[in-house]
Amino acid sequence: MTDDRQSVDSLLPVVYQELRRLAANYLRHERPGQTLQPTALVHEAYMRLLKDKPGRWQNRAHFCAIAAHSMRQILIERARARHAQKRGGARQRVTLDERLMPGGEQSIDLLALDEALGRLAELDPDQARLVELRFFGGLTVEETAEAMNISPATVKRHWTVASAWLARELEGNSQA
Amino acid sequence: MNRERWQKINEIFHTALEHDTTTREAYLEKATAGDPDLRRHVHELLTQKVPAFLEKPAWAAAPDLAMGDSGSLVGKKIGDYRVLKEIGRGGMGVVYAAEDTQLRVIRALKALPPEFTKDPKRRQRLIREARIAAALSHPAIAAVFNLVEVGDDLCIISELVEGRTLREELRGGPIAPTHLLSTLISIAEALAAAHAHGIVHRDLKPENIIRRDDGQIKVLDFGLARPTDPSQLSLLTEGLGIEGTPAYMAPEQYTPGADIDARADIFAFGVMAWELATGEHPLGTDPASILVKMNEMIGGKTPGISLALPLPGLDRIVRRCMRGKPVERYPSAKELLDDLRALDLPGPHSLPARHDSFWWWQGHQIIVSTLNASAPACVWAVRHWVGRPYGSRLFLVSLTLATISVALRLNLFFASRVHQETLIEHRARLFPAIAVLDTLLATSLLVAAAIIADDHDGIAAIFVAIAAVMLALLSLIEPATTAAAGLNRPAKTRTVLTEKSGGASR
Repeated sequence: MTDDRQSVDSLLPVVYQELRRLAANYLRHERPGQTLQPTALVHEAYMRLLKDKPGRWQNRAHFCAIAAHSMRQILIERARARHAQKRGGARQRVTLDERLMPGGEQSIDLLALDEALGRLAELDPDQARLVELRFFGGLTVEETAEAMNISPATVKRHWTVASAWLARELEGNSQA
Repeated sequence: MNRERWQKINEIFHTALEHDTTTREAYLEKATAGDPDLRRHVHELLTQKVPAFLEKPAWAAAPDLAMGDSGSLVGKKIGDYRVLKEIGRGGMGVVYAAEDTQLRVIRALKALPPEFTKDPKRRQRLIREARIAAALSHPAIAAVFNLVEVGDDLCIISELVEGRTLREELRGGPIAPTHLLSTLISIAEALAAAHAHGIVHRDLKPENIIRRDDGQIKVLDFGLARPTDPSQLSLLTEGLGIEGTPAYMAPEQYTPGADIDARADIFAFGVMAWELATGEHPLGTDPASILVKMNEMIGGKTPGISLALPLPGLDRIVRRCMRGKPVERYPSAKELLDDLRALDLPGPHSLPARHDSFWWWQGHQIIVSTLNASAPACVWAVRHWVGRPYGSRLFLVSLTLATISVALRLNLFFASRVHQETLIEHRARLFPAIAVLDTLLATSLLVAAAIIADDHDGIAAIFVAIAAVMLALLSLIEPATTAAAGLNRPAKTRTVLTEKSGGASR
C-alpha cells in the first residue's frame, strides 16, 4: 500500500498534465452546464499515457487511482488560484448547479473538503482513497470496487460513513 | 480522534444501520454505554444529511471551477481591438470575437487562458503559433493578421471564420457523398501548403476545421504546429511533452520526444476522412476498443478495420493514411492530394467496370482450381505405368503443388467476395507463387506423359493436352480476365470494381 502510494505520487505530474489538458479540451466542446464525463477523461488519459514508460500503466486500477488524485489536484489548484485572485477577501465558495441545491443557497468549499479529506486519510487511508476515486475520479461504485479490489458492498458501506463524516466536517460542527 | 476510535465508530455505525429505527436507539444505548462522546459521534453520523453534490463527480459538482471561467476579456480594449464576446475556449487559449476599431472589421482574437497569462512558456507558445500561422497563406487556412502585446495581454488576431465545424456537421451524420471528396481535397490542399513550408499541424481533427457558409473550408488552430526544421525546435518542445488529441493521434505521437513529421498529419487525416465518410470513428466508439487498437498501432501494427468505405478508391487511400508505421503512409500531403485528385477526375478509369468481366475473373479462378485439382488424379491413375518408386513420388509432388495452388486461388476468390478493397494488393502478392506452382504442376503432368509415352501414347497425349491447357490458361487467359476485372491496374487509377461500389463513383 505504501509503495503503491509512493509510485502514485511519482507519476502524478504526468497524469496531472494530461488530465488538465484533456479537461480543457472537453470543456471547449461542451456547453456550460453539461456534465463533463470524468471516466471518458480517464480513458483518454490512459490511452495517451500507455506508451509512456511501459509497465507503469499496466495496472488499470492503479491508473484510476492516480487519475482521481490528479483530478483532485487540478480542482484544488484552481480553487486556490481563485482564492488568491480575491486577495484578502473571504475564501470563495463555488456555487453549485441549481438542480443540486434543494432549499436555496448551498455552496461547496472545495478547499475545506480537501482539508477534511486529508483528515479522513489519517483516520482511515482506505476510506479517503475511496472518496477520492468516487468524488474526484468520478468512478462508479463498481469501478471503485474494482480499482480497490474490494466488493461493491464494502464500497457502499465505506462511502456511507465517509460521506456522512465529510458532510459533518463541512458543516463545521466537528469536535474531533 | 484516532484510528482505533474511528474503527469503533464505523463498526457501531454500520451495525446501527442494520437495525430498523425502532431498535436502533436501544442498540446505540447498549453499544456506547459509558461513552457519551462515542454515542454523540455515531448519532451525528447517522442523522447527518449528505449533500447531493457529494454524490456527483467533483467535475460535475463544481462546473464553473472546472470551466475556469474567470478573467474574461469581454468588454476590454486591447490595442486597437475591442473584445466583443467569447466564442471558444480550450486549454491552449480563449477565442473571442473582437472589433478592429481602426478598420471597423470583426476579427478573431485568441488569448491565453487567464491562469496562464503570466506563464512565459505559454506566451512563447502563443507567439510561436502566431508566427507559424502567419507564414502560411492559403485559402483553406485561417489567416493570421497580427500579434498584439499590451501589458499582460498577449493576443493573436486572425480571420474570423464563421460557419460550422466538421464536428458539428458530423452530428447530423456522415458528410454527403457529393461533398465528401471536395471537402477532403480542400483539407489536403491546406495540409500540402503547410507541409511545403515544413509545418506540421499535429492536431488535425473535425473540431479544427470549419466550413464557411459559402462552402470554403478553413483549417484552424495551428496551435500545435511546429516547423519540421530541427534547428527551430529546442525552444518549442521543451517541457511540453506529448501533444495532440488521442483519437486522432498517430501512434508515434504517443512516444514523448519522438520525431513527429508530416506523416502524423497524414494519419490524422485518414482517421478524420474515415469519420467524415461513415460518421463513425474508424477505431470504434468504445474507449476500450480504441485503447486496444491504439496499443496495437503503437506496436507498429495496422489494426484491422472491418468496414469498408463506399468508394473503394478512397478506402484504399484512407487505409494507407492510417498505417501504423509512418513509412507505410504517404510521405506528405502532396502525394495524398495527388491521389485524391486522381479519384476526383472523371475519366475512362473511373467508369464502372462491367460487372460480368469481374465475374469472368472469379469464374477463371474456379475453373483453374478444378483443373488443377484433377491433375494429381491423372497422375494417380497412371502411377503403376510409371513404375516404382517414381510413380508414387510424382503423384505426391503433383498433389502438393495442386493443393497449394488451389488453396491460394480459392483464397483469392473469397477475398474478391469479402475484401475487395485490398484485392489488388492481395492478388499482386499471391500471383507470382501461383504462377510458379501452376507451371510446376503442368510440368509434372508432362513428366508423367514422357515416361508413359512409349507404352500408352493415347493417355500421354491427353496429359500433354491438359498441361498445355493449364499453361495457356495461366499465360494467356488469366492476364485477360485479370485486366477485364481491373485487377492489374496500378491501384491509383482503379476506382471501381463491382456493381456494389459503382454507384458511389464520381
